[in-house]
Amino acid sequence: MSVQLGMAIDLKRCVGCHTCAVACKIENNLPDGNWWNRTTTEGGDAQDTPSGVYPNLKREYITLACQHCANPACVRACPVGATYKREEDGVVFQDYEKCIGCRMCIAACPYTGVRQYNWEEPKHAMDYAVGDADVPAHQKHTVEKCTLCAHRLARGEEPACINACPADARHFGDLHDLTSEVAQLIVQREYRQLLTDKGTEPSIYYLV
Amino acid sequence: MTAQTAQSQAAPPSAAPEHRSKGQLIALIIAAVVALGGIALWVFQLAGGMVNTNMRNLDSWGIYIIFFMLFVGLSAGGLIISSVPKVFGIKGFGGISKIAVWVSICCTVLAVAFVVVDLGGPLRVWELFAYANLTSPLMWDIIVLTIYLIISIIYLWATLRAESGRSTAAALRVLSAIALLCAVLVHTVTAWIFGLQISHEFWYTALLGPWFVSSALLSGLALVLIVVVVLNRTGYLSLGQENLIKMARLLGVFTAVDLYFFGCDLLTSGFPGGQGGETVTLLTTGPLAGYFWAEVIFGIITMIIAFVPSLRKTSLILVASVLSVLAILCKRIQLLIGGFQIPNLDFASLSTGPDLSSGGQAFSSLGGSLIYFPSPLELGVVIGVLGLGVFLLLLGLRLLPLKPITRTTSDTADRD
Repeated sequence: MSVQLGMAIDLKRCVGCHTCAVACKIENNLPDGNWWNRTTTEGGDAQDTPSGVYPNLKREYITLACQHCANPACVRACPVGATYKREEDGVVFQDYEKCIGCRMCIAACPYTGVRQYNWEEPKHAMDYAVGDADVPAHQKHTVEKCTLCAHRLARGEEPACINACPADARHFGDLHDLTSEVAQLIVQREYRQLLTDKGTEPSIYYLV
Repeated sequence: MTAQTAQSQAAPPSAAPEHRSKGQLIALIIAAVVALGGIALWVFQLAGGMVNTNMRNLDSWGIYIIFFMLFVGLSAGGLIISSVPKVFGIKGFGGISKIAVWVSICCTVLAVAFVVVDLGGPLRVWELFAYANLTSPLMWDIIVLTIYLIISIIYLWATLRAESGRSTAAALRVLSAIALLCAVLVHTVTAWIFGLQISHEFWYTALLGPWFVSSALLSGLALVLIVVVVLNRTGYLSLGQENLIKMARLLGVFTAVDLYFFGCDLLTSGFPGGQGGETVTLLTTGPLAGYFWAEVIFGIITMIIAFVPSLRKTSLILVASVLSVLAILCKRIQLLIGGFQIPNLDFASLSTGPDLSSGGQAFSSLGGSLIYFPSPLELGVVIGVLGLGVFLLLLGLRLLPLKPITRTTSDTADRD
């Protein structure tokens, strides 16, 4: 059976500390303004605010990045195949060299804001590049997003956000391998996925 | 324009062509300068970055794509006006065929230009041919638009040949049918760029294809009417009033069909409530209400002018035509901005921050909720591209034999 890499993110363990988002930002040397992975508050009116009415309040965090869908809307939409699904591991990949900057994929992706366009020459807070040396250079006027740290996968490592999580809420592996930790968690725990009604079959599972 | 018209009418017939030609030359030069200015702004946009536009990740397309949709639609009118009578063997609209097709060609070129200025990497467009991904509606549109442009040019060329007796009417009729089919296809495929995206509730409807065709017919015919009325005034054309009235009535019918589709779509969206209901609220009372009601009111005025016989005067027909183009522009604005306006994931931190443009943030701080309004740079580029269109149009009128051949020496005889 084919490999489909994915994540199981335990919302009961997530404390909303943003460490995964920052780990991603540094690992991939993301330009200013770009966040491939974000910690967002669900339900409240603003970040870090609870939902509900006092005293029945609830504060929940959800981390959002590319869902590496089994049926990705973006791949079908890209006119030049700059975004494609890798056969070997199911990662939805983005080729900066090919991207013509038409932003069709941004329009096609139902997951709000996970695809990000470099609206100018990438700028960085640091004068020097940070993160992994194998990360491809960011390019002006191209679309980018989470690659599941493809450069780390190539070395047999997990994405940077997984180990960075201090609450041990993030799990990574092959969803199709029923012996893997992620597949087991999905079997044992209740979970939800984002926007299942869009039929994209996301590979990110949120354990609730 | 009134002054110019008076002058050209006052001038003796023999001097008139020279006078017109001089004015036309000045207009041509002005249009060329505006177009060059637009190109300069576009180069600035590429060099300085698209951060100078007001598009951002949550509103990743803007006025360029709005005008792309508008001009694909505008290109329809000319081709359809001139090909339908030939295909079905009915009486045409008095020899405006060639001018109508030339307007159509200019609009198609502009539609392509609006896509090009929207691209982040225009130097990579060759990839569209090298790595074409045939599942992409955008790729389909690029293919169909290219074919459409080529067919329009062949069609114009064939019409000119047929007039000089070097081609048969039957050959022209076959070509008309192909051109007509292509015109319908190009609007449907343009609609599919949006209508096939499950990501946006507002766009994802099977009606979008036929609706784009009806909007294209309406705006395209309106543009042909504007050109014809203006050229009638300047003496280039001398189309009889009965032809204008015929086209004005058709304009009314197209408006009715377009608004009917709008009604159907609103009801289908709003009836079950949910996100569709949000879309209806967005249009009728939300941030896009101005564009929505403008479209509806312009449509109603157009229908009144088109259907009340005593109102079908040249000046009012011109008003109805201008309103029709504006109505479809409003429609395009609603569709594009509206599609991006409602996020699927309504998490607090997603709808703020750098994903929202400074324009969007300005609206938010004023208490509004509109996420996009074009920046001065975008408006400048749009004006530049429009300048290119005027330049092409005038160049064609100047260099191509587009005048109706039935025209006699007494060119002022049936002018209204």
